[in-house]
Amino acid sequence: MALWGMVIDLDRCTGCQACVMACKAENNVPAVGADQAKRGRTISWMQVLTEQDEEHPENKMRFVPRPCLQCDDPPCTKVCPVFATYRNPEGIIGQIYGRCIGCRFCMAACPYNAKYFNWYKYQKEKPGQNPDVSLRPKGVVEKCTFCHHRLQKARAQALAENREFDPREYVPACAESCPAQAIVFGDLSDPGSEVSRLAQSPRAFKLQEELGTKPKVIYLTEGEGGG
Amino acid sequence: MEHSNTDQLVKTLQWLWMFVFILLVGGIISWISHLIYAAWWLGDVPSASIGISLVAMPIFVVLLSVVLYVFWGLAVRGRGQ
Amino acid sequence: MVENGDVHEEILFRPIEQTGRGFYWTVAILSAFILWGVVAYVTQYYWGLGVAGLNQPVSWGFYVTNFVFFIGISHAGTLISAILRLSKAEWRRPITRMAEVITVMVIFVGAGQILIDLGRPDRMLNVIRWGRYQSPLLWDATSISAYMSASLTYLYLPMIPDIAILRDRFVGRRKLLYSVLALGWTGTEQQHRVLNRAIAVMGVLVIPIAVSVHSVVSFVFSMTLQPMWHSTIFGPYFVVGAIFSGIAGLIVAMIIFRKAYGLEYYLKPIHFRYLGQLLLIMSLFWTYFTFSEYLTGYYGGEPEEMKVFWSKFNGAFAVFFWGMVFCNLVVPIASLARLAHHTIGKVLTASIAVIVGMWLERFIIVVPSLSSPRLPFPPTTYWPTWVEFGETAGSFALFALFYVLFTKFFPIISIWEIREGREVGVKEVQERVLSYLPGEVEA
Repeated sequence: MALWGMVIDLDRCTGCQACVMACKAENNVPAVGADQAKRGRTISWMQVLTEQDEEHPENKMRFVPRPCLQCDDPPCTKVCPVFATYRNPEGIIGQIYGRCIGCRFCMAACPYNAKYFNWYKYQKEKPGQNPDVSLRPKGVVEKCTFCHHRLQKARAQALAENREFDPREYVPACAESCPAQAIVFGDLSDPGSEVSRLAQSPRAFKLQEELGTKPKVIYLTEGEGGG
Repeated sequence: MEHSNTDQLVKTLQWLWMFVFILLVGGIISWISHLIYAAWWLGDVPSASIGISLVAMPIFVVLLSVVLYVFWGLAVRGRGQ
Repeated sequence: MVENGDVHEEILFRPIEQTGRGFYWTVAILSAFILWGVVAYVTQYYWGLGVAGLNQPVSWGFYVTNFVFFIGISHAGTLISAILRLSKAEWRRPITRMAEVITVMVIFVGAGQILIDLGRPDRMLNVIRWGRYQSPLLWDATSISAYMSASLTYLYLPMIPDIAILRDRFVGRRKLLYSVLALGWTGTEQQHRVLNRAIAVMGVLVIPIAVSVHSVVSFVFSMTLQPMWHSTIFGPYFVVGAIFSGIAGLIVAMIIFRKAYGLEYYLKPIHFRYLGQLLLIMSLFWTYFTFSEYLTGYYGGEPEEMKVFWSKFNGAFAVFFWGMVFCNLVVPIASLARLAHHTIGKVLTASIAVIVGMWLERFIIVVPSLSSPRLPFPPTTYWPTWVEFGETAGSFALFALFYVLFTKFFPIISIWEIREGREVGVKEVQERVLSYLPGEVEA
């Protein structure tokens, strides 16, 4: 059974936010408008966080692309009252829009604030949307799914062509679009995959690791001398 | 004194009143059991369901018993002596 | 066997038998606020939760604050009345009914707050069909259902003899209502025995349920990993705060109805003095828990907790935090230290301050932790909108309306328990005190 994970190299990340835009396009993430954005309702499954570099606070910014970290011990699934968010056997945390009652407990529980809410009906049918991803109604929570629909498509394709499914065929939109190739995606349970290799790197660290959430998005810290 | 019609109506409404209460509390008890079953069937932390029900079910059962005891003692057995 | 009671007793029947202009005015004003609340909610139902001031990361605000607050007030009734009954405190007799009514009415309003907070209220049955007991919200659902049914029962059982009195006074449709609810009560010894046994059992049962209710409400916060939420003190802290706010709510209700229905003969300064002393004790308890909570956070100095701590102490929430301390500690101590004179005025001041202070306390618990997320998000503020204010006002008014309507049908002071106090209570207390004094060893 695969265990899908991601490694993001902070040394390579330029903060260009191509991953954010690719994710928005791929997953029909709605643009909420300037007014709503000012009120703090932006929905951004992949969000690039910025913080001042600790050693050179005036000169350097650190960019941290933050998708859903797809934790192996998720605080969000524990508190959902109706099983609208759950961890599937391949390690992806799913979100069932049709069951969510909008209590926002998972939003309050996520230490990474990776969950977003549809405060209004932000999404309408429009040309140019990705037909593989359902539109979310108002009043439900949504989040990054590691482009799970691409996995389903790739598996279906392999089945149709009567061959084995190759894990390298499944790449989320953010990993695919990063011009600096900072995002690497793959099967963490396969010791030969690039993701597993990078995850062992001495530069590897996990966000808020001490909380025990066991996130499957691993970051590589910037190298010496600003790399 | 009163017409036996009114008396009969009162008795019927009292039984109905008790029946609604039994339905309510009985409903909650069966709901809790349903949730235990669902958790076991999905393999979704059934221990939590069992733990909660070990505390909650006795409370509802005692509550139901107390109300039925009062109903029996007042309205049925101890009626208008 | 219905006794010809005191001529003063007539005043207890007056609200049920007559309706004055004051009642209609009260209902009109309350309905106006309820209408505001209804308009606010319909707007929210149609457009979505976006009409409130909530955002990411502050996804919980007024509604959850109100939920915790109202459930807290509910501890007034049943807990106080149960504890006073079990400890055989004779001064409880005119108070128990009012207390129990508060509990029943406010529990409905409190539980309603969570339904109002849902993004998809049309799917609320999902909690019943697919509930997960690992979630503290399900613990809430179970616990509040238990409390609703138990407190309803604990209100109803001691009302039965009073309902029988009303049944014998009225004619027509009202008589039918009372006849059904009186369950054939005629005051025989056997019936008294059954009822007293049942009330005693309920008195014991209701206390752990009440404690569990506010504990599980606190667990909604403490079971997450958020800074200043993930604290082991939350269970007892919330229960103490609930009893605290509950007593204050009870005192305010008592003073209002004492004035409105002319109950000075029954609700005497001594009752308010005792409740005032209880309020002062709870204020000190609450202060102790609050102090422990904040000292622990401050001393540990964990950076993410300190962000939240400073936002409360001297940051964006300082006004609310210090307002809370003023209302919950300073005003109660100043008013309640000496209650010999101006008892009712002092006790009223303290209670109103505590009600405001405890609402602020709930707000201070819910919003600041969400406002300072662990990861470096751009800062946001939470500004409630007219929808949230309307919903809050409407909820208070709805609770008040339920309460007022109750007093139109049932006596707000337990008539038979007062009679029992006169006939039996005095002698019982005398015997009890004699048994404490040195004397012969009982067989």
